[in-house]
Amino acid sequence: MGTTHLALTPAQHDLWVGAIIGGVVIVVAVAALLTILVVLVRRIDKRVVMVRDSLKAAAANTSDTALIGETAKRVDAVLAEGLKHHLFLGRVLDKVRA
Amino acid sequence: MDAWDTQTLVILSVVDIALLIAGLAFYLFVVGGQLKKIATNLEECAGLVRTIKGNAEVIAPDVEHINRTGGVVAGALPLLYGMAEGIVAGATYAPDDTPRPPAKPASGRRRSRLHDAVGYHVSDEADKAPVAG
Repeated sequence: MGTTHLALTPAQHDLWVGAIIGGVVIVVAVAALLTILVVLVRRIDKRVVMVRDSLKAAAANTSDTALIGETAKRVDAVLAEGLKHHLFLGRVLDKVRA
Repeated sequence: MDAWDTQTLVILSVVDIALLIAGLAFYLFVVGGQLKKIATNLEECAGLVRTIKGNAEVIAPDVEHINRTGGVVAGALPLLYGMAEGIVAGATYAPDDTPRPPAKPASGRRRSRLHDAVGYHVSDEADKAPVAG
């Protein structure tokens, strides 16, 4: 298998070397930027976990809100009993006045 | 310019490109894993938000109901205890607190029916008695 030797002028050689060095610089820059991206995404992940925990706590806090409707029914019962007391006291008051 | 330099340049170029591709692949793999985890957490957050929304939807109408009924009860209580006070005032014994006047002696002459039995009348004797002076 024969080897093909490229005949490069010094200018072409310098350009190639420059391109390789530029490529290495670009690789390092891309690595740095992607490292920053990974760090930021990890921070987002932590914040999302915090949000999820807060939402879990909020869901636990609001899990008993169904009892509010039951409380409303009991308050209605208090009102109905109060109306019975009103009628009773009205009858008794009339008798006492008589 | 010899052939080794050219071969080195080719190898360095291939290594450069391979490094770029490998680095990109590695970071994309890492970021992809992180984003997948974030997506799972956000999905769980969405479910929790829906749960909280369902829990909170009943708060406003029920609390409004409680407030309205409580207002009616609070407004009726003064009437109730006013009626109760009227009953207590009407059913409680009220003694007469006006001061009694001092006891008066029995006025007039004490009559004795023994005199009447024998036909003696004191008024007749008083009429016959001489008037002094």
